Amino acid sequence: MFDVISFGPFLSAAALFLLSTGVGILPVRKIIQVREAKHELKQGSAGFLRSIGGWSIIFIWFGAIWFLATIIGDWGATGDLAGAWARGEIRLRILLEILAALAESD
Amino acid sequence: MTQTAPPDAAPPGATRRALLCPGCGGQCMFDPAERGLTCQSCGRVQDLAHEDDDDAHIEYGYDPTQPEEEPATRPAELEHHCATCDGRVIFTGPQLSENCPYCAGAVVLSQPVNGYDTMALIPFSTQEKTAQINAQAWAKSRLAAPGDLSKSVAPARVAGLYAPFWTFDSKEAVSYWAKYTTGSGDNKRTHSVSGAMNIHFDDLLVPASPHVTPLIRDGILHEFNPDKLRRYRAGYLAGFAAERHHMTISEGLRSNRKDKDLLIRNRIKGDINRSRVHSIRYRTDTSGIHYRRILLPVWLMHYTYRDKPYKIVVSGINGRTYGERPFSSWKLAGYSALLSAAVIGFGLVWGAAGWR
Repeated sequence: MFDVISFGPFLSAAALFLLSTGVGILPVRKIIQVREAKHELKQGSAGFLRSIGGWSIIFIWFGAIWFLATIIGDWGATGDLAGAWARGEIRLRILLEILAALAESD
Repeated sequence: MTQTAPPDAAPPGATRRALLCPGCGGQCMFDPAERGLTCQSCGRVQDLAHEDDDDAHIEYGYDPTQPEEEPATRPAELEHHCATCDGRVIFTGPQLSENCPYCAGAVVLSQPVNGYDTMALIPFSTQEKTAQINAQAWAKSRLAAPGDLSKSVAPARVAGLYAPFWTFDSKEAVSYWAKYTTGSGDNKRTHSVSGAMNIHFDDLLVPASPHVTPLIRDGILHEFNPDKLRRYRAGYLAGFAAERHHMTISEGLRSNRKDKDLLIRNRIKGDINRSRVHSIRYRTDTSGIHYRRILLPVWLMHYTYRDKPYKIVVSGINGRTYGERPFSSWKLAGYSALLSAAVIGFGLVWGAAGWR
């Protein structure tokens, strides 16, 4: 019989991948816009500043999927989902601090 | 070099006679390759350079507390009006197109409306063929563009247009107040900071037409050399469309307000020289405003992708290209999947290894 518990980390990783792929369309578009702005717009101009504004969404996306993946990785290695969440708390706090600082610099 | 009042007399309008070849009487057009007015019949080239070209870079003073004295005039040429985008263009010499260079909509002859005479212009240096190649190459080099984008762009053709711009100089005495954050967690602190600085904006280019966006300006006009300006002469416009200036000086300054605000805020961030700066407030006293009404040459290409119009703009000065483009959702999803796989893989290893 299909064991949901033992396949849980695999299924979660696959679900996270699908979710991240869908959500990531906007941040990827922003990456391309920032890249084009850096190469093609006059540096320091109003159009350049507007185009690169909002870049923190890229790091928020990266940070969120990285954090969830670390929980799944921990869960897969230990088989203890509740423990994985508990161990991830410090990581989450540090990550939120970094993302808040990045958002303030955006 | 500056002067306090614009010239009394408006530059002469285009006359058909001036655009005829003195040799054979044929129609002349400005040729960017020859940098002169070239006869379409005998090929004779007339040099349009004039001894007063050295004065073309002169700027005119503006005092916002005084009434504007610049007289509005009607163009000598017939004006064409676009019902689609409300653009108004003149064709010097024969009518070049029945389509609006701004939006490719149909243009019709209309009563000319009052406008302001152009003080100077930079003539076209980039040829149509080069502009066409640059626009196509720009579209082709887009990341995550739809696979069939090239097919949509291939039949599109560039149209030459002199677009109206301002150059504005000003001196800003800025006083500012802002906050910045340091530390994290329990050590997170917010500090207040204030200061004063002087900013000199020199030759800030401002589109004087709603059809040219600041983003397009910043894409194609990276540098502006006033020495390239020439006194307005109808001959430079022969073979191209042109839009006249319709804004008063105060309207021009107003249209630049958002961009200037963004630039001042960016300079303030640079002056504070710290990360995580926020809540910026400032007050500025503006003085020393000088302006020019100029025309700058652009090649515009319109194309439609899935019923949505886009445009690519090529600088007529140096061929620099920028524009609007569609994205392919599937390609974006593909890039997103690749990045997601990499970050998730990294996260899984991190978690499985038990790293904090």
